Amino acid sequence: MPPDLHEMPDEPPPFLGAWPRVYVAVVAYLAALITLCYLFTRAFA
Amino acid sequence: MRPLDWLVLVGSLTSIIAYGLYRGRGSNTVDRYLLAGKTMPWYAMALSIMATQASAITFISTTGQSYVDGMRFVQFYFGMPLAMVALSATAVPIFHRAKVYTAYEYLENRFDAKTRALASFIFLMQRGLSVGLTFYAPAIVLSVIFGWPDRLTTLVIGITVVIYTVTGGIRTVTWTDVQQMLIILFGLIVALVTIILLLPRQVSFVDAMHLAGAAGKLNAVTFNVDWNDRYNLWSGLIGGMFLALSYFGCDQSQVQRYLTGKSIAQSKLSLLFTAMAKIPMQFFILFIGAMVFVFYIFEPPPLVFQRTENQRIQRPELAPRYQPLAARYQDALEQRKQAALAFVDARHRRDQENETGALMRYRQAQLKVDAARQQGAALVEASGGEKGFRDTNYIFLSFVTRYLPSGIVGLVIAVILAATMSSSSGEINSLATVSVVDIYRRHYRRDAADHHYVTASRIATAFWGAYAVAFAGFGNRLGSLIEAVNWVGSLFYGSLLGVFALAFFFKQVKGTAAFCGVLAGEAAIFAAFLFTHISFLWYNVIGCLVVIATALALTAVSPRASRTPDGSL
Repeated sequence: MPPDLHEMPDEPPPFLGAWPRVYVAVVAYLAALITLCYLFTRAFA
Repeated sequence: MRPLDWLVLVGSLTSIIAYGLYRGRGSNTVDRYLLAGKTMPWYAMALSIMATQASAITFISTTGQSYVDGMRFVQFYFGMPLAMVALSATAVPIFHRAKVYTAYEYLENRFDAKTRALASFIFLMQRGLSVGLTFYAPAIVLSVIFGWPDRLTTLVIGITVVIYTVTGGIRTVTWTDVQQMLIILFGLIVALVTIILLLPRQVSFVDAMHLAGAAGKLNAVTFNVDWNDRYNLWSGLIGGMFLALSYFGCDQSQVQRYLTGKSIAQSKLSLLFTAMAKIPMQFFILFIGAMVFVFYIFEPPPLVFQRTENQRIQRPELAPRYQPLAARYQDALEQRKQAALAFVDARHRRDQENETGALMRYRQAQLKVDAARQQGAALVEASGGEKGFRDTNYIFLSFVTRYLPSGIVGLVIAVILAATMSSSSGEINSLATVSVVDIYRRHYRRDAADHHYVTASRIATAFWGAYAVAFAGFGNRLGSLIEAVNWVGSLFYGSLLGVFALAFFFKQVKGTAAFCGVLAGEAAIFAAFLFTHISFLWYNVIGCLVVIATALALTAVSPRASRTPDGSL
């Protein structure tokens, strides 16, 4: 019998209220890291 | 290795075994043994994922890579956060709700038995090849540096890993990974602080960064567009994302980590935390390599870091080639050191003109040093050494053993062994899980008692542990296969990613079309491997797209391909 796909609820994250907001925060964090790496490269090139 | 080093090393290994056995109590059902009863908190899963992914060779090789090529390797990880977001939104809830033990089990729910069997086979082949080398790679480096017999090293690590993995299953693997990851992080911080303290008094930390940057070692971001270039922003973001999607979404050694989560949310948090921590961690490791480079500006490094090869090229019959090369090398090192000191002095005096002049001399001297090292590598080859010889893997450990104080050496070796154990325990555990769940239980004993499968899992774990140690014993006959194994992963991941993408996003595609898609994807990847020079990071993209395109085309043109195994549409 196929498992009940709704049996396990996808509860909200412990911060930011909703998962899409957490995902956006992670992508923004990545953009910030790349920017910092770029500034680091330029500062010491 | 001095007595204090041995004390630190033996103490670390003993604590890992003791902690593993303690944590593994009560793993007496299949659910507890293979999925830790789905009780794991997010931070344990996250650290376990990071520890499994970071093998010993990551620390040995990455620091050396930075010494030689700079920090641009960090871009390889830029695609990971994007992949983790995608997996958190798709694979994590799907796998959790499907209540599977392995990722490939889900493929049978979604497609058919042959697609599951093909994916399981690909995983066992690819991961089975690499697990032996996870043991062998650090053992051979430790053998060259310390003279330890590589077979004894692999045996000691192998027995240690098998003891706690067989006993406690995934729960032990995860908690020992956490412990090992903490040892690794502590060891790396101590190593970096020690390197900085070893720099000459007049060279500040900022001076050191300027010297590393001027030699091109702090090139963390490069924008050049080149399909054959492994590490630039674009290959990192796109190729790295597909590689991370494949690795964390389709490789059981990773999927099994987040299947142990208490809830979907805990598993998602573990992946997202890993994504956020991995880039800074890799940056940190690469930065250690860059600081080792700066250290060697003021302490003359050997022409070749691998001691045995360095001794080989100094044999009397090679003197006519070696001696002029060594003289040029020493001359270039001295020029570099004087230029670096002049640069630091001018910088402190804020003398712009002399600073620029010294910098130019420093860069020219660096070019001469690089040229001499290349000629040294060529001399190793010409004297009967390995073809395509590189000493990258020996740079960091050579530095550690020559310059780090007593106790710290033992700690760094403990880091390397801990990384080996964390990677191999995850690999062995996942190989055993797929062997039992996807092969044994699916095809041989479908309705045995729970205890029977726990025993089978323990036997399979011991088998894969013994196999890995035995395979590592033949490592010295494999030569350049160590590098080839890195390619093997990329030869198969793209197709696995493609079939999971079909399962998640293309509801109209059924088993036969998916199965044929995987075969077509593999054909495309092997064609790219054999007939082009495309960087291996792109194989995952190619394989994934070909699998999807082929399956969709077959679904569109063939009504049979759209049917379920029982013949219904």
